Amino acid sequence: MTSNPLPLNLSRFGGCTLTGALSVTTQVRNSVTVVHGPKGCTHHNFSLLHATGLDNDHVIIPDLISTGLSESDIIYGGEEALERTLDSVATRHFSTIFVLSTCIVDTIGDDVVAVCRRNRDVPVLPIPTAGFLGGTFQNGMNNALSAIAETVEPCRKDWSVNIIGEKNLENEVEENYAEVTRLLSALGISVNLRFLRDCSVEDITRLGAARLNILRDNALYTVGERLLKRFNTPYISSYPIGLEGTIGFLESVAGCFGVPCLRVVREEKNLQDDILTEFKDIFGTSVTFDPIAKSSDSFRIASEIAGRIGISVDRDGCRVPVQDASPVGSTGVRRMLHQWRRAIHA
Amino acid sequence: MPECDNPLWPCAMTGAAACLAGFDGINVVIHGSSGCYFYPATLLHAPLHGTFIIENDVIFGSEQRLLEVLDGLADNGKKTAVIMTCVPAILGEDIRSILNDYSVILVDAPGFSGDVENGYKKALSVLAPSVDPEKEGVNIDGVCIFDPFSGGNVLEVVRLLGSASVSVSTVFCFDRLEKVKRSAAYTVGTNRDFSSGIGTNLGGMLGFEEIRTTFRRVASVCPDADPTPVEREIEREDERIVRACDKFLRRFDPPYAVIFSNFSYATFAARTLKHYLDADILFVGSRNKPGNSPFPVEHVQDFSHMKTLIRHHNPDLVIGSSFERSVDTNRAFVGLTPPLRGMVMLAPHAIAGITGTLSFVEEVLNACIDRKK
Repeated sequence: MTSNPLPLNLSRFGGCTLTGALSVTTQVRNSVTVVHGPKGCTHHNFSLLHATGLDNDHVIIPDLISTGLSESDIIYGGEEALERTLDSVATRHFSTIFVLSTCIVDTIGDDVVAVCRRNRDVPVLPIPTAGFLGGTFQNGMNNALSAIAETVEPCRKDWSVNIIGEKNLENEVEENYAEVTRLLSALGISVNLRFLRDCSVEDITRLGAARLNILRDNALYTVGERLLKRFNTPYISSYPIGLEGTIGFLESVAGCFGVPCLRVVREEKNLQDDILTEFKDIFGTSVTFDPIAKSSDSFRIASEIAGRIGISVDRDGCRVPVQDASPVGSTGVRRMLHQWRRAIHA
Repeated sequence: MPECDNPLWPCAMTGAAACLAGFDGINVVIHGSSGCYFYPATLLHAPLHGTFIIENDVIFGSEQRLLEVLDGLADNGKKTAVIMTCVPAILGEDIRSILNDYSVILVDAPGFSGDVENGYKKALSVLAPSVDPEKEGVNIDGVCIFDPFSGGNVLEVVRLLGSASVSVSTVFCFDRLEKVKRSAAYTVGTNRDFSSGIGTNLGGMLGFEEIRTTFRRVASVCPDADPTPVEREIEREDERIVRACDKFLRRFDPPYAVIFSNFSYATFAARTLKHYLDADILFVGSRNKPGNSPFPVEHVQDFSHMKTLIRHHNPDLVIGSSFERSVDTNRAFVGLTPPLRGMVMLAPHAIAGITGTLSFVEEVLNACIDRKK
């Protein structure tokens, strides 16, 4: 892959807005997503979502419909094809139709929003995507979450949190969620809604009920702000990351709910000590992180953990894997240390 | 082109990338966005490069970005091929004149121009293959790295040609680039849907009957060729298959099968199942436009249509891709069609050649027996 790591070029590698938006819309049960573009774009994403589902033992066949733009549609405009597709899909008893555009459609100037505005018996929700012209994968995801949130009305708050913007294509998405719910339940707090993972349209109407939103990571900042404005729901900007981050997370959530957390924090610190003790056989070793050029967050967390168990980090050390997404919670750290031990003993 | 539910087959750009990336000696550059790049990169498992264009490149022109990428590749001694994706293809930039100072192959294969086969053929035509009448041996064609069996097919057909004392000339498209311009006058095929059109086609390698006929033709044009070892091997392996299938038929009814694949592979699968297992071929769904067939066949491009057909025919054996496998997990399944996700394939597997038929029948029998346990 040709890469030029100048800051100017970083957005080039951020993936496609379409894929980001699809990672969200395909999680709404009984909905359909119309992708306005050549059918290759839909196939690519269908294949990717299917493959990811297979890898995660969570096989879903998303309902994606391509408007199947041909060369003549590109020349003469694709609005008719979109109109025809929406009319046909509207008869198929879906609860919602999401409409995503591709880069070619944005380039030829189809007015997707105008076509979607025409009255049909089912809600049609256009989401700004436009392939790479709309930004990156993360932009697509944020746009989809924000657009769906705009369809929900505020409601009365209860004693719960929302999980916002889980990375649905992430291999360990369920394990991460389980870790967050473990920490929340220690504080006596439940999850109101996973926004958005395997939800019905009715589930989504509860979006405003949570007292706190927990963002998967700080790239969802704009979504957090939008939800704050619309539902007056404050947010925590990230899942618990690393050992200190996990303690900080417990304290922040407890602070938002006004509940004491000293006992829970003490128990979590004990758990962390137990986890680190499990790996005393690798205390005192020397490692280097593989690959070296990772995000500063993952490097920082890996360094923190290495420091806690007396592992030194130097260039000639044993190469241990560091993932782009940092380990979530204390059990995430344990899984990472298992990988390190495998590498050190290899 | 009408609307399509969950399209099952990739676009022309992916086909062009699959063709070019099969050749050693080409840097393949996908001139498009990261979204266009990542799909073929994950599917083909081949080194690809990308320009990863962004909005600014569309507004101010993509020339500078393209040249930046080409300059980065200039020193590796390989020829560079640039594949135009949808947006650059309609921007109206005169890419050809921009690239005047570069020795670059330009392939215009935007996704909207067709399916994977169209892009593959377009890219191959741009490479302008030619026949060298002095070149000995035969070419192998139909090899597309998009097909998970392509590597196994090459190994198997090279083995069979070697066994018949025939040398291999150019493998389309899995060879050194310089051999494209010096291919032999005769060609044998592994997958008709990706045929090259180079040289005189002596036939295919799918199924024993076809292999036998092809080797007779090879022997008629290559004076040193001796098809006898291949014929003997076919005879021997045919008996083994018959024994295994008869043993199955003594215990079980023949399978009721539906097959979804490219037309060439699907026809091979249907003929093989009919021949050895007296299978009832309920339906053949061809990913590409089908030709004449003794079996009920239709062009099936989308998931909903495929799912409806499987449920309607209610087969006990499904042959296809991981998409077909997802419809119902309680039926016997054999993977023949890309993508084959959710399973590990490390060793080369063939569909072409003698080993290809053996592997296919073996997979079918094991899948059917496992399901009946």
